[in-house]
Amino acid sequence: MTRSTVAASARFRQRKLTTKQALQILREDQIDSVDDEAQRNVPKVETGVEKGEEVEHHLQAALSASQAAAVGGKVAQIYIPTPDTIQSSLEYDRLYSLTFPKPATYIRFSSTVEDCCGCPYDMDDDDDLFLNSLNHRDASTQCSENHFEEVIHFLEETAQAKQPYAAVDNSPVLTYDTISDAFDESLDAPARSFTKEIYEHWKMRRLKEGNRSLTANLKLETGAETDESDPYVCFRRREVRQVRKTRGRDAHSAEKLKKLRKELEESRQIMALIRQREITKREQLAVERHLFEQRSSLRQVKLNLPEQYKEGDEDLLINQKPQKKKTQDPPAQRPSGTQLRMPQRPDGRFADADLVQLQDVLAENERQIKEEIENRIAQHKQRSEGYLDMTRAPLTPPMEESTGSSFRTAMTEYLPTPPASISSEHSGDVAAVSGSPGPIKDQAVAVRYASPSYDGPHGSQPSFRRRIGRGGRLMIDRRGMRVPGRDSPDATLLADRYRFDREEDDEDLATYQVDPYDIASMRYRARISGLHHTYQAQAAKRQQIEVSTTRGGLGEQHRPNAVRQSAPD
Amino acid sequence: MAPRDASVDHTATPEPVEKSLATIGTLRIGVKAFVEKDGEKRKAEILSIQSRKGQPSYYVHYEEFNKRLDEWVSASRLDLSQEVEWPQPEAPPKKSQKQTAPPKSATLPKSSVGQKRPRTSTTSRRDSETPELSSTTGNAQPKLTRPSLVGGKENNRPGSDQSISVIAPEITTDTPKPEDSDLDIADLQDAAAAAKAAGPTAKQGPYSREEEIEKLRTGGSMTQNQTEISRVRNLQRVQMGKHEMEPWYFSPYPQTFTEADMVYICEFCLSYYDSLKPFQRHRAKCTLLHPPGNEIYRDDYVSFFEIDGRRQRRWCRNLCLLSKLFLDHKTLYYDVDPFLFYCMTTRDDHGCHLVGYFSKEKESAEGYNVACILTLPQYQRMGFGKLLIAFSYELSKREGKLGSPEKPLSDLGLLGYRAYWAETVVDLLTEEGRGGEVSVEEIGSLSAMTTGDVLHTLQNLNMLRYSKGNHVIVLTDAVLHQQRKQREKEKIKGKRRVDPERLVWKPPVFSAGSRTWNW
Repeated sequence: MTRSTVAASARFRQRKLTTKQALQILREDQIDSVDDEAQRNVPKVETGVEKGEEVEHHLQAALSASQAAAVGGKVAQIYIPTPDTIQSSLEYDRLYSLTFPKPATYIRFSSTVEDCCGCPYDMDDDDDLFLNSLNHRDASTQCSENHFEEVIHFLEETAQAKQPYAAVDNSPVLTYDTISDAFDESLDAPARSFTKEIYEHWKMRRLKEGNRSLTANLKLETGAETDESDPYVCFRRREVRQVRKTRGRDAHSAEKLKKLRKELEESRQIMALIRQREITKREQLAVERHLFEQRSSLRQVKLNLPEQYKEGDEDLLINQKPQKKKTQDPPAQRPSGTQLRMPQRPDGRFADADLVQLQDVLAENERQIKEEIENRIAQHKQRSEGYLDMTRAPLTPPMEESTGSSFRTAMTEYLPTPPASISSEHSGDVAAVSGSPGPIKDQAVAVRYASPSYDGPHGSQPSFRRRIGRGGRLMIDRRGMRVPGRDSPDATLLADRYRFDREEDDEDLATYQVDPYDIASMRYRARISGLHHTYQAQAAKRQQIEVSTTRGGLGEQHRPNAVRQSAPD
Repeated sequence: MAPRDASVDHTATPEPVEKSLATIGTLRIGVKAFVEKDGEKRKAEILSIQSRKGQPSYYVHYEEFNKRLDEWVSASRLDLSQEVEWPQPEAPPKKSQKQTAPPKSATLPKSSVGQKRPRTSTTSRRDSETPELSSTTGNAQPKLTRPSLVGGKENNRPGSDQSISVIAPEITTDTPKPEDSDLDIADLQDAAAAAKAAGPTAKQGPYSREEEIEKLRTGGSMTQNQTEISRVRNLQRVQMGKHEMEPWYFSPYPQTFTEADMVYICEFCLSYYDSLKPFQRHRAKCTLLHPPGNEIYRDDYVSFFEIDGRRQRRWCRNLCLLSKLFLDHKTLYYDVDPFLFYCMTTRDDHGCHLVGYFSKEKESAEGYNVACILTLPQYQRMGFGKLLIAFSYELSKREGKLGSPEKPLSDLGLLGYRAYWAETVVDLLTEEGRGGEVSVEEIGSLSAMTTGDVLHTLQNLNMLRYSKGNHVIVLTDAVLHQQRKQREKEKIKGKRRVDPERLVWKPPVFSAGSRTWNW
């Protein structure tokens, strides 16, 4: 820094230093000291200190000291002298008596100074003297410092509001009457009792000050010409940047203003409506109260007339909700109004007791529909009395008209493939069949043919009827012969079916699944004697049962069937 | 434009300094006399005269001393055996006080060895320029109108680009075109202020036109106010917390406070009182225990609070009034709305005690990350200033911006910043794992310093050299020695640094609306 730049720049033409350029970092011993001479062409950088002050003695001393240090000189650090600071003689702990709680988390705080300082007026020595004498005069009523300050603050505020220019226009100090007119709830009762005395004191002080405010205020701008040159005027309002007017900007502003206007209008309307609502609510409350009073007087009357009084009259005091029908949707029913207070909704508004609820409506609809269906069914039944619905999907379930039908349910046990000789003997009645044990009784296994239906209540119960056809033909109709699919006999069903179809000696015998329609097996069956009971026959029987169950249903009598059918008559 | 033209007096010519012996009776404001200061006689300007107990007392400003050393002296310290310089007689009486003397060569300081600026001598020009500037000042003042500066400058920086055009034509013909031809009358005031400031400097001597412009750009006024009052310190003593201090500069506290022997300032809400009783009453009521904002940083040593000038107007005004007592270049001309105040506090059982603060524009057109920065005098020379500066750069890092303090810097500010910059840059360069090359921009982006400040620092430390046809950065022995010394000191005293981990802060965003509608 101490070298002359002129000489260096004259000798060399250096490359300009750019800030983007990567510079080597070297130690002092790594560079050639000869080059050092030529290093003075870096852009000049301002110190940033005002020129007038840059020359100041102490700054220069400090700067040259640090300069010297930078080039390796040994210089003590120089401080710029500043006026001294001394410890205050005031008792800090008394003045600052509050204890800081030292919160563990970072402090978040938004209260202002005004929020934190209580009454803005702070009494001074004059006030103190006055207050002492005031409190001396009458020992019974003591005015506290706080109350005193409140009153003065109130007086000051009122004066400021009524005479904002008192300091300039020499207006007279406000009279007590004007002040007392302005009393409001901001002054509490104990303070108010001293206003008269304090006013006199305040007036005296104001007069002494030329009716200026008692508190020392900053000089803020007054808009007067003298503002500019007055160094005490501070914190002026900042003027808003003038933006260039363009059509686009105008339109934009107009848009914004319109939007603002609309939004304000909307919020105004909302407020008006809210107001309306609240008024209505108030009226409603009044009416309810009136109602309650009327009721309670009625109750009183009743109480006075014991013969009129009966249990539950207390309930008259309460707005009874209409009892809902028990039948419909009981959980949806709200607890009946046993409380005087209206139920509160979470948003704080009262639920309207008579409000139609969706679930009630739905329940009502459903009920109507059900009723309608019931009615129709009843009508239908009436109409089709004595008729049998034989359609594929009868509206009237066939089971229900069993009384009117000639079909009889076959609640019986069959002997599977009874011996031919016996079958002829016992072809009288189903019950007879089951009831009469054949000669092979001990071997015959009772198979419960009419096992409980699997596929619904209707149509699966096997039943039969006898008809006399033309020429005296006897015809047996059967129906409800449920047949599981031939290819896929249900394993569990089969197991169930054969559960008891077993003898002790059966155990070691395998059961063969044979196709009953196989020619060979039919031939075989045809061959075997009716009196000879063989295992094969038994097996065949089983097959036949299966076969018979796969067929069946109404009008399928022509199918091969090994079960003997007997019609009741 | 008309008022400006009228205000600039082209015909003014320099008057020779009138020098003669003076007596106590003839002394008046504006006179420059030799005054005894710390055992030596220094030339000082009389800024104010008061009569105290029948004895005249003089408020003097020592030339080449900072204004904070201005003081009241008794007549006995004035050396009237030497000739005094009289203020310009023909100037209007009111102005004459602030009219600084015409160029003199006698006071050229011998101490300006370390002056960085080469002084190419153009004596003839010097003589012609200064008076014009002075006359501008004198005539402009009565017509001052309210400036409509929009940018929220906290520092007084009157020399905007626009103001150049006011002064420059008188200096040379090829004036740089102002960026905005919409000149405001208000600029005149700035120009006037700048010119006024330039006054005393002018006599220091020669400067080029560029320097002149530079001077107008950065050279603010001596104070922000044109009147004499503000040159005289208005408060006697200030009591705050556990300390009592002497104010350094004028601050626009209520005018009646001038008479008070002591002004009491509440340590927490910074409210001010001119006597003890109201202050005690206030203390009985005040519940504030820390700056009224959000804490954004805390370590075992200090806490930082962020305070929005718009939301905490009262507190921020109080803070500005207080800091103006110790900051010459601060202006309280405008309100505090466009600033955020970052306040550093120390904690104890009584609360968070304000130690220092810096203000920052919510939106800085020039990219400043600090407007005003102050460590309260009772906490100076304890390393807090460096912490404050470090914190301001930490915020800039978080914002992803480069920052620089607003100019002008004060003398103490310059020293503080230089120390921080030097330490930061050297630490970066000697960091473990740093490669052999680095560009100025990289240093800047690592430290959030502007490249200008990086260059400034490198240059100051004599680290930027030209070797074998290339610019290089040299870690000089002196610099490394300094670093070692610093490290040793830190080992003993413990290093205070800002830990970015503890900074809980997101750069606040202000909507266009909040900026435009200031009230």
